[in-house]
Amino acid sequence: MKNTKKLLWALPLFAIALLTSCEKNDPVIPNQEEIITTLRYTLTPDGGGSAVIFQFQDVDGDGGNAPVITNGNLASNTTYSGSLLLLNETTNPVDTTSNEVANEAVDHQFFFQPSGINATFAYDDADANGNPIGLASTMATGAASSGTLTITLRHQPDKFATGASSGDITNVGGETDIEVTFDVTIQ
Amino acid sequence: MIQRWISGMLPSFTKEGCPKGTGWFLFSVFLFPFSGFGQNCSLSISGSLADEGTGIPMAYGTVYVEELQSGVAADSSGNFRLTNLCKGSYHLRFNHIGCETHTVFIDLKKDTTIAISMHHHNELVDEVVVHDHHSQQETAASTTINQETITEEANKDLSEMLQQMTGVSSLRTGAGVSKPVVHGLTGNRVAVLNNGVAQSGQQWGNDHAPEIDPYVAEHISVVKGASALAYPGNSLGSVVLIEPSEIANDPHLHGNVNYVFQTNGLGHTLNARLEKYAKWAAWRVSATAKVFGDRSAPDYYLTNTGKREYDVAAQLEKHISSKWEMKFYYSLFNTEIGILRGSHIGNLTDLQEAIGRDVPFFTKDTFSYKINAPHQTVQHHLAKLQSRHIFNEHQTLRLTYAAQVNNRKEFDIRRGDRSNTPALSLLLWDQFLESVYDHFFEHDRKLKTGIQLRITDNTNNPETGILPLIPDYRAYRAGAFAIFQEQKGHVLYELGARYDLTDLQVVAISSSLPREIERHYHVFNNYSLSAGMRWQVLPQLKLNLDMGHVLRSPQVNELYSNGLHQGVSGIELGNPNLKSERSSKVVLTADWNVRKKLFVQVLGYYQYVQDFIYLQPESEFRLTIRGAFPLYSYHQTDATLIGTDVLASYEPIESIRLMVKYSFLQGDDVRNHKPLVYMPSNNLFGSFAYTFKDGKKMKNSSVSINGRYVFKQNHLNADQDIMPVPNGYFLLGANLGTSFKLKKATLRCSLRGENLLNTRYRDYLNRQRYFSDDLGWNVSAQIGVTF
Repeated sequence: MKNTKKLLWALPLFAIALLTSCEKNDPVIPNQEEIITTLRYTLTPDGGGSAVIFQFQDVDGDGGNAPVITNGNLASNTTYSGSLLLLNETTNPVDTTSNEVANEAVDHQFFFQPSGINATFAYDDADANGNPIGLASTMATGAASSGTLTITLRHQPDKFATGASSGDITNVGGETDIEVTFDVTIQ
Repeated sequence: MIQRWISGMLPSFTKEGCPKGTGWFLFSVFLFPFSGFGQNCSLSISGSLADEGTGIPMAYGTVYVEELQSGVAADSSGNFRLTNLCKGSYHLRFNHIGCETHTVFIDLKKDTTIAISMHHHNELVDEVVVHDHHSQQETAASTTINQETITEEANKDLSEMLQQMTGVSSLRTGAGVSKPVVHGLTGNRVAVLNNGVAQSGQQWGNDHAPEIDPYVAEHISVVKGASALAYPGNSLGSVVLIEPSEIANDPHLHGNVNYVFQTNGLGHTLNARLEKYAKWAAWRVSATAKVFGDRSAPDYYLTNTGKREYDVAAQLEKHISSKWEMKFYYSLFNTEIGILRGSHIGNLTDLQEAIGRDVPFFTKDTFSYKINAPHQTVQHHLAKLQSRHIFNEHQTLRLTYAAQVNNRKEFDIRRGDRSNTPALSLLLWDQFLESVYDHFFEHDRKLKTGIQLRITDNTNNPETGILPLIPDYRAYRAGAFAIFQEQKGHVLYELGARYDLTDLQVVAISSSLPREIERHYHVFNNYSLSAGMRWQVLPQLKLNLDMGHVLRSPQVNELYSNGLHQGVSGIELGNPNLKSERSSKVVLTADWNVRKKLFVQVLGYYQYVQDFIYLQPESEFRLTIRGAFPLYSYHQTDATLIGTDVLASYEPIESIRLMVKYSFLQGDDVRNHKPLVYMPSNNLFGSFAYTFKDGKKMKNSSVSINGRYVFKQNHLNADQDIMPVPNGYFLLGANLGTSFKLKKATLRCSLRGENLLNTRYRDYLNRQRYFSDDLGWNVSAQIGVTF
């Protein structure tokens, strides 16, 4: 009985102790090593001349500030060598994510989908199974036109699906790691 | 015979306010041995049965003596008397309609009087089906699921078991994850009480199932009323109770071993339970192991839907003196659940490609037990210590301390070797302290008061390398309640009030650079009021009216979510300006019993929720490097939920039972004049059961066939879903079961078939209906020994 009474008295004390106890510690900010902040598509004309750069950059990841998109103008009836660079700029030093994609080439593929522009794309690289990756590509422009170009990176697609090796995204499935759209003008 | 019966003694030991109690004190039995000249075979056991909740005598219960294979019935005052007994050991089994079976062991040396308090399920909440004789079919139809059903269906998870009650549905994520929906509300709005302690996990997630092994429970019940004020938690009224029984006063070792095999997913479930009322303390241990492989839809395997689960629980009870009892409980729940590979998507384009496919992406044509990403692992520990003090005949005090630790990790398909690194990793701990004081007054009046304190602490583990979806937080809650009950003639009244103070500290990481720590503080003052009445209008008609006004404070996910929610392929934004939801609910139940052949229960409810919190799609899209994502944010509106649950059961002759159940529910957003999303479809269930006469060895043999029709959810606008609402569907099921009486044990065998027509269907409340068909046919075979 005595003990019970003591317990009863202890309850409010316990409550006060709870309610005035210390603040929650600061969380540890995670090291976002997987995030991709930047996609840079560099198109170099085969006949020489200055390269055209298309870039999608979102240094703080999803949310926060809006991404910065750099579009470019291309010359008509020209063949360009395209190279894709992926960066994670949240880390110091900056991490080159495209190396990771190259290391897991059998599990990745880029797709180039023009809309409204006269341009054709060809892959210029291959994984261990002989299927394309897309880090290196060729773009051939036709007559002057304007429209968009969507670049998609799929993770774990079916790279043997019908049309996949020629760049048709329809049947490949997988998860989208990147999907960016640029405005393109062919002059 | 001298009746040394002190009627006042009984309530003081046994009244616990069930089913609003914590589930620990289901039965209390006290023996008052007589001194006298007991001759061999002229001894007697007499006593009476009373309702544990109210202390009111319970008429016409039965007492069965296992050793003699015979029994007697109690009279209209609940008194019974067994005579001409020999000296020796007896196991007595007490039954009363609407109650759990209760077993008592007596080592009979002289004439003995005992007081039995039965755990009755009807106390100002909804009603239990009552027919003359007890079979598991009828309890399954009620708001309570008993131990036999829990054991027979041990391969199901908690929410799937609850689904067989009218008015309860399951919100599912594929085959392995389901959470209960009671009268249209789920998640944070339904409190789940495991052994009297509010389950404290990551309840906010639609793909987070309650971390409870139902096998520990003696019964599982759902309180669908509006007045569950004694329960801690943050519900809008409805409460799910998982209640282990008190260990029977029996010095022998008893237990149960149970095995279930199921064809769909080639699943194995093994359970074991042992208990003994030893001299040093009463103890019980139980364990469950479940292993399932890929489930299958009618036409294909659901790749990566396997599951593993390993659970243990231990219970200790010690009567230190006649005035002091101590109880300890510990349980560990441990699971790993695969998520359908074809439901994992990167962005909106992937979602559009994946939805409505005939066969999901990544479907393999071979069966496997292997679980790959995406999958989730959860460990949940619960430890509880309870001390009960009986001051005198009328006053008892119960002190409870409980601690919980919940560790959840969710794994996605990630680049590099990161699929082995969780994409979500949360560690939550929770401490709970409660003091409940019961006072019984004269004239069947009872007052129950209590205070509750709770701290919940949630921390994101930075191992994920991903900014967290919900921030770290710590919540302090203090609550106090009082409930008054009075029985006046045929009417039982109940009044209750509750106050809760919540102090929430949120520590978030900014979404813009440079990353900064943002601290937010919220204080919520919530009160709740309830009133109820149970009126036995006629012997065959009973009415229940239950009204409640409850406030629920917004949860952390509703206030501060920030990020991509993979499952819905959308970005969810919390709203720090949310206010508490205010719910008013009225529940009216009528139970009508015609000559014990026809039983009809009609339950109607109306709930109005002011400032109902919901997720609304925004008109803008958020541009990310993975494409444009729809943006969802939390808003408040006013909602109404109107529904009815009907149950009718008919027994033309004792061996045949027909049953029909129907649930109707309509949810509306009255501020914006549109339906509420994710409301359960109306459904109709019918069954026909035939019970065989007990043979010498074979008992409780029955065969039944059942059908469930789930209507299409028509109460929804076309623009409220990304895919047309699935059609209605019909599922056929069947059960077959029998028990064999062995020397000192009972062997139970049963077969249960589900979706026997192998119907192709998709359910509106299954979040994976966008990607795949629901489960195909399944047969479960169960064998169990109880000794």
